[in-house]
Amino acid sequence: MTGGKSRWMNEEEDAEVEAQRKREKEEKKSAKLEKQRKLEEEARRRAEPTTSKNRTDIGLDRPTKRRRLSPDKDELVTATQQMKLLRFSASEWGPCRLVDNFERLNHIEEGSYGWVSRARESATGEVVALKKLKMDNLNDGFPVTALREIQTLKESKHRHIVGLREVVVGNTLDDVYLVMEFLEHDLKTLQEDMAEPFLPSEIKTLLLQLGSAVEYLHDHWILHANLKTSNILMNNRGEIKIADFGMARYFGDPPPPKMTQLVVTLWYRAPELLLGTEDYGKPIDIWSVGCIFGELLTKEPLLQGKNEVDELSKIFELCGIPTEETWPGFKRLPNARSLRLPRTHQTVGSVIRSKFPFLTSAGSQLLISLLSLNPARRPTATEMLAHPYFKEDPRPKSTAMFPTFPSKAGQERRKRMASPSAPKRGDAPKMDVQGLDFSGIFAGRDMEESGAGFQLKLV
Amino acid sequence: MQTSQLANPLATVEQISSSGSQLDGIPADLEHSIQFAGARLTQAAGILLRLPQEIIAQAIVIFTRFWIGSEGGSLAEYGAEQVSSASLYLIAKLSAYPKSPRSILNVYAYLDSFSSTFIEPGKLQANNPESYYLSEGSYHAQRTLLLRTEAHILRILGFQTHVSLPYTLCINYLQTLDVFSQPRASELAKRAFAHLNTALLSPQLLYLTHQPPCLATAAIYLAAREVGVKLPDNEWWEVFDTDREELGFLVVGLMSMEGFVAEEKAQWGKRKVPMSVDDVEAEIERRKIMNGNG
Repeated sequence: MTGGKSRWMNEEEDAEVEAQRKREKEEKKSAKLEKQRKLEEEARRRAEPTTSKNRTDIGLDRPTKRRRLSPDKDELVTATQQMKLLRFSASEWGPCRLVDNFERLNHIEEGSYGWVSRARESATGEVVALKKLKMDNLNDGFPVTALREIQTLKESKHRHIVGLREVVVGNTLDDVYLVMEFLEHDLKTLQEDMAEPFLPSEIKTLLLQLGSAVEYLHDHWILHANLKTSNILMNNRGEIKIADFGMARYFGDPPPPKMTQLVVTLWYRAPELLLGTEDYGKPIDIWSVGCIFGELLTKEPLLQGKNEVDELSKIFELCGIPTEETWPGFKRLPNARSLRLPRTHQTVGSVIRSKFPFLTSAGSQLLISLLSLNPARRPTATEMLAHPYFKEDPRPKSTAMFPTFPSKAGQERRKRMASPSAPKRGDAPKMDVQGLDFSGIFAGRDMEESGAGFQLKLV
Repeated sequence: MQTSQLANPLATVEQISSSGSQLDGIPADLEHSIQFAGARLTQAAGILLRLPQEIIAQAIVIFTRFWIGSEGGSLAEYGAEQVSSASLYLIAKLSAYPKSPRSILNVYAYLDSFSSTFIEPGKLQANNPESYYLSEGSYHAQRTLLLRTEAHILRILGFQTHVSLPYTLCINYLQTLDVFSQPRASELAKRAFAHLNTALLSPQLLYLTHQPPCLATAAIYLAAREVGVKLPDNEWWEVFDTDREELGFLVVGLMSMEGFVAEEKAQWGKRKVPMSVDDVEAEIERRKIMNGNG
């Protein structure tokens, strides 16, 4: 090391000479490059004389009330032409417009984080969904959930995620509205009005769309954390879009510390959340996708627990009781200590296959894997999309072939059906108060087999 | 159009060529001084609040974005201290390290107890923290102001709170350039980070006009020359999405900071840079009188 150092010192002069040479070379090179660039530029200008015009036009047709100063525009255009490197497309920012630019048409529904109405933009006549944000925790200023909703929605530009067009404000500081794409239906209301569940080919298309949206979110380090059928909007062309990012947040690897387990509406909430983990991630969304899959098959929410305890017991009833082998470490989760599980390790497996007798074996394989109790065993969204279930017959139906339905959101006020809403901030789960006894869930199971009659063995 | 999470929204030409303060008749040099002092104040408060540098840096970028453009905030309407504290509060809230209004306001009250704006970083804790805290009454008044300012920041920025930073890119690029096998690599990395931190305070608004990859590349280029680490002979910066012209501009911008800071220090000396609306008015009044006399 010392030898190297002294040699470096000795050669300082040599290095300088060399540097000089290099500099000259570089200057020559850059002059050459410059020449070439100019030539290219000229060629380009000859080839498409309208390019620069188009570029300024694009800048201008955006509706903005911002003052535009004339200088530099031409300079800017030539500057962008010279660049040959690929660039990130940069967005801009500007002050919020007023909500007065929209006229409200009709009320759609009240979500857990705001009121949604259908509205028309006066200038363009375009119909949008206008969501007024609820300002609850004003002691902490602007609600962090609303900030996260805006931040994550702004980042999410995907065909199957509802687009946030802008944020507009009213006259007081508490009036903030999200302007979003309007879609005619949500899956929950739609299913309630349908006589029969979606066809298998339609379910595949819906799941593929849902999966691609979840894949996009997870690739961008966003957890939705409240996937459910009422948050999945659908238009009359069979396209679905995920909405309501009121619980969404960025996550990381390792996950950020002290995340609340109070996410996801109860019926779609993953077992690790119910057991009180603070260290969760993508698998919680995958669990919800599993619940939605089950719901699409039967038109009924899959796991309708009355409270956290009941939800967990319904989950164990459907998916079986976890063991140290199937879910290593689950007993160390905060709420698992009070669990009393049946001692017998015999047939307490999943009953999913028998619950959905009409599902193909690939289909039930997929559903079982999405609803793995152990979060580590659930597939990623990408893995899910590659599942053989989507390749076998019936093939996914083209969205263009989807039936259309009369839109409730577009015409009339919706009837709200009883279903739990997303958890509120602050109400901590009280699971550890009572000792939870799950030992009774499968109590009658041994008897069943001895019952008379013929039964196809599906489990 | 698809934007990358690594990319930042950038200021438009219009936003750079005008500002709310200018339209309200605030002299441009005063505006620069206040913005520099405000960015520095945010950094100091962030350090005292033990926030990670990435949170502090994001807050400084939000603070800087607030003022620019004809529809940006004006110093005649908002004090720099108030916008600094609200930016820090807002960004910390969105992060994994939220801070209560009380902690934020106490820290700003403490920093206000120094007689000069230019506190040496090493002397940040020189004053006795226990003798500077907010009374209950002024806490409530200030908290209301903090939360109102937060709402105003959000409106003026159109709820654009996304800030991506060049720090991790910088490490990534250094690894790509394979410098960590060289003896002075960690010194180089530290120097590059120092440049990135300094650039946050630049009156040229470097973080508002250039993307993180370019900032990281320029910091590495300059730091390598200063530390004496040899980088590839070819035009390696192009691999990191930076062309020669932008690299040159940024390097000159980074190098000019030392002179700028020295000038600011000399100009203000032991006086305080006006950080509230009232102080700004008083300063403009003072300048008028001085000009009248001279």
